Parts: sequence; structure tokens; C-alpha cells
Amino acid sequence: MTDITKEAMMPPRSFLSQDAIQLFYRLLAAFLICAVLAVLSDSFLSLGNILNVLRQASLTFFIASGLTLVVLTAGLDLSVGANVALSACIAGTVIHKTGSPALGILTGLACGGIVGLLNGIMVTALRIPSFIATYGMLWVLNGLTYWYMAGETLHGFPAGFRQIGSGYLFGLPIPVYLLLVFLGIGTLFAQRTIWGQEIYAIGANPVAARLSGIPVARRLLLVYAVSGIMAGLASIIFLSRLNSAEADIGESLTLPAIAAVLIGGTSLFGGVGTVFGTFIGALILTLVLNGMNLLSVSANWQPLVTGIIVILAVWLDMKTRRRAQ
Amino acid sequence: MTRKLGYLALPLLMAAAFTSQARADGETIAVFTKNQTNPFFQTVRVGADNMAKTLNAKTLQYIPTKPDSIPEQLSQIEDVVVKKPSAIVFTPVDYKAMVPGVEKINEAKIPVVNITDRSAGGKFLSFVGADDYSLGLETARFLLKTLGGKGNIVIIEGVKGSLTNVDRVRGFNDALKEAPGAKLLASQPGNYQRLQALQVMENLMQSNAQIDGVLAANDAMAVGAIEALDGANRKAQVIGINGTKEAIDAIKSGKLLASGDYNGFAQGCLGTMMAIRALRNQPVIAEIVLKPTVITKDNYQPFDVPLEQRTCPTFEDAGKLGAK
Repeated sequence: MTDITKEAMMPPRSFLSQDAIQLFYRLLAAFLICAVLAVLSDSFLSLGNILNVLRQASLTFFIASGLTLVVLTAGLDLSVGANVALSACIAGTVIHKTGSPALGILTGLACGGIVGLLNGIMVTALRIPSFIATYGMLWVLNGLTYWYMAGETLHGFPAGFRQIGSGYLFGLPIPVYLLLVFLGIGTLFAQRTIWGQEIYAIGANPVAARLSGIPVARRLLLVYAVSGIMAGLASIIFLSRLNSAEADIGESLTLPAIAAVLIGGTSLFGGVGTVFGTFIGALILTLVLNGMNLLSVSANWQPLVTGIIVILAVWLDMKTRRRAQ
Repeated sequence: MTRKLGYLALPLLMAAAFTSQARADGETIAVFTKNQTNPFFQTVRVGADNMAKTLNAKTLQYIPTKPDSIPEQLSQIEDVVVKKPSAIVFTPVDYKAMVPGVEKINEAKIPVVNITDRSAGGKFLSFVGADDYSLGLETARFLLKTLGGKGNIVIIEGVKGSLTNVDRVRGFNDALKEAPGAKLLASQPGNYQRLQALQVMENLMQSNAQIDGVLAANDAMAVGAIEALDGANRKAQVIGINGTKEAIDAIKSGKLLASGDYNGFAQGCLGTMMAIRALRNQPVIAEIVLKPTVITKDNYQPFDVPLEQRTCPTFEDAGKLGAK
């Protein structure tokens, strides 16, 4: 099939297309939360707190941005958190042993990418449903990490390396720059490249995508590898921000990342959603926890409120989509 | 299929026959801990190994691959009942949910010592543990003494509803009641996680211009809070609980004020000691609740020794170590 027919089948998705309504609702929700918090807490709208929220949202966003691509193909990557944990522990060891942050960063990204590639191979070559393949991978990674760390923690990294996660540049936290860069790359990749368009097409209808000549397996491999590499990047940010690595960090990262993707309006059935939406999703999750901390809301209510927001977001999503159809 | 199972069972039966012979030493002690992720349980396991070696016995470690998994520990108990070790040193992953498991051990007539978390039921030779409430109370008292009995305090809690967290936070709050000059600004959950504690601390610093003291329910959260303070160029006195290696390093470098020693090493040592003594018909102590030690820059030296090089307390020491 020629490129011309491919183009005809998939008109380039503009930022103001069918996803625009979804994004509008997300932004509205984020603004409403901000407005309520600004009224309730004096310190909420301070510049310090806004940067604080952005920096906190960045870690969830890095993991969730790669995951968004996977979900766009109607897949799921449950191993992202465990991947962050293993990559952080290995990258941390490399930095300790060699004293070279650069080598550590490369190792972390490579480790994340390899895990992602293995996920992709299981999904494409072995045809295991992604939910099961990555769930299995989650256990494999946890096992490896627990065995490798043997109950120890790694801590204490060079000051220069610490700058990545905790440093500032022109008054902005460095993770916020990285967030903007990856938000830009992710959005451009998904909306403006043929590969991105093909990923949407695979999620919308895998059979049609294959028949129209899209190399489905190769694109899926790419998507899982990217998800893994982003987990590797998150592991580096985690290491340099927390100054430590331990085996059990994964569990607390996976669900917020999945929640960010869903709150951001990406459909679990594939083909619909944006990386920008995921950013708003990560922001909403962070805002809610930030707000509850600022207002000293009792600890008991925090998981409950988060859960309700995830349910509301998915419900709103299905409702507006039905109306749009 | 059944024949295959029979072959599998044969060596187990032989092993059971050997271990059930009365012998003065060479006993096998099965040690159950909650997970491979918390450094605390590593100290318990090293303590148990150390004591078993001293007494010429050996240990078998049982650890759920999924941290704190109730079904997994239950199936490990089923395995161990078939394998029949001489005795068991047991930390329940959940103090209530594991009671049926303990009853299985009791039915199999394998002597069992309870360590760390007190089981809600079952029969034990002995209990060895620390007291979370007094750990919370004593570390918080130390913080308040350092601050001169006043200041703005925040609490970073562990997993809401977990036995350790409820008691530690109750201890913190009771110490705060003794210091009317101190003000509790917030008590927020960090779920024993470093990242969550760091983010909670970052958020709390936004709404509170002055924070003088942080009471964290474990060391990982205390260190997370310190990272947040450092990142904002702010200072506060921080305490943690557990006495991990990381905490000792932070105390040495002056970043952490103190940590309450949960004394996993001694718990592992003494639990194993009681199990072996009972097998050898020597007297045991029915209950040892270790006194809380507040590790500070003045007394950290004995804790700054690699685990493998530490020595277990003797039976004579054991009596003195207990608060009750």
C-alpha cells in the first residue's frame, strides 16, 4: 500500500480535533481544583508552591508519558513501577562503583529500555496479552530487585548528579524543564509524526491497521521500549531527587502513573487520548495530594479522595465520549 | 502423578525422620520474616543466623517473595509443617490474619517463638519484640527536649492502621501532650515511603513558614523529609525510627537528630536463642520486650558496626534487655 492511501486513511490529528473536548474538560477540572484550593489556602497560589506541584507531578508524568503510548495501542504496562525500582538500584550501584553519574544515567536508561523491549517481544512475538505479560514482568523485576538489594538501601550520590532532581536553573526546578521537553516531544511524536499516527491507528483498530500496511509488531515494540526508557529516566530523577534507591519503590509509582493516564482521558480501549492529557492527569493527582497536605486533611481521607477522582474521571470520559458519538 | 509426588515426599520424610531424633545440637530453626525489602528484617535474619551458628544449629529462612503477603506466608507454613524443622521463629506478616497459620504450627507440635509483631493468637514458647509505643514516646521526648519543649512540629505517619504506625504515632502524640509549648502543625501520611514523605514535607513547608521538628514513623521517611528540607534550604530537627544503617550515617553526619532502635538484630538473636534453649530443655524467658534505645550522635558507635561483626547478647544479658 502506498503512503498516499495511508495518509488519506489517517488525516493528521490536529491538537483541536476530537480530543479537544476531552482536554477541555481536564483543564477545567484542574482549574476548578486550583480555584477551590486558592480560596481555602493562602499558600496555594504562591510561586513556590506552583513550582513545587510541577516538580512533584514530573516524576509521575515521566512514567505516565511512555505508558500513554502503550495505552493508546489498547495495551497496558503494569511493570513500569517495578522497572523504575530495578533501574534505580542498578544505576545507583553503577554510580557508586564507578563514580560516574553519566555511566549511571546510561545504565538506568538502558536497563529500563531493555525491560520495555522484553515486554514488547512478549506482546508481539509471543502474542501474550500485555496485561498478563507486563504483570509477569512485574514479578520478575521485583524478584530480581529484592534478590539484588537483599534488604539493603543505596544512598549518597555526587552533588552534581543530585542537581538533576533537586537543582534549579533560572529559578525553575530542573525536573520542570525535563517535563516541558518530554511533554513537547511526546505531543509532537504522537500528533505530528507518521509513527505517532500509526500508534493511534493500531489502538483504534489493529486489524485495519495491519491491512493498511502498518508494521504493527514493530510499532508495538517501539511503544513498549519507549515506556521502558521513560521508566529508566524516572529512575534517574528518583535517584537524584531522593538521594537513595531501595527495592520497594515500585509499588507506590505504578498506580499513580496509570491513574494519571486515565484521568488524562486516554481510553483503556486504545486509539483515543493525548500525552498532554496525561500531563493534566498527573497535575490533578498531584494537586489533590498537595491541597490535602496544605489543608492538613486527615490522613484517612487521602486515598479515598484520590480513588473517587479516578472513578469520576473515567466516568466523565465515557459519558462525554458517548455524547460525542 | 501420585507416584511422582511420592518420590518427592520421600526425601522430605527422611529429613523429618532425621530431625525428629533427639540431639544435643544441629537443630534446624525455620525463621519467618515479613519481606526482603525492609532492611529491618535483614538485621533480624543476620541476628538469627549469628545465634544459630554460636549454638551449633542452623537456620532456614522463609520470606514471602511479595512483601507482607498473607497467602504466601500461609503456604510457607504449610510447607514447613511438612518439612518439620526442630523449631520455628515466627514474625507474622499480619498479626491477626496469620493466627490460623500459627494454629497449624501448633497442631503439628513444632515449638514456635514469636518475634517482632505479637500474634493475636496461637501458642508460643516465648515472645521477643520491641515496643512501638515507647519507641515513639522516647524519640519524640528526645526531640522535644532538644527543642527546649517548644516549637512547631509535624508528624509523618506510616501506613495508616498498621500496628507499628498506630503505636508509634500514639507515642509521638503522648510526648507532645507533655510539652504544652510545642504545637502540632500537621500529621500527614507518608506510608513508610521515602518519596511520599519527601513530597508531604515539601507541601507542608509551603503552608508553614516555620517548622522546627519532624517526627517520622520510620527512617526512610525521616531521610525523605531531610532531603525536602535541604532542597528548600531550611532546617529542622528530624527523628526517625528503626535504627537502619542509613539512619546511623545520617546521625553521624548531623543531618538526623536521632532514631529509635527497633533492635532487629537482638530480636533475631534472642528469638533463635529461646527456640534452641527450649529444644535443649534449658529455661527460657516467656516475654522479652526490648527497652527502646534512642540512637543519637552521643551513642551511635555500637550501631555503626557491620551486622556481620556484631555479637548476640547472652542469655544473662537477655534478662536485663527486657523492659518487662
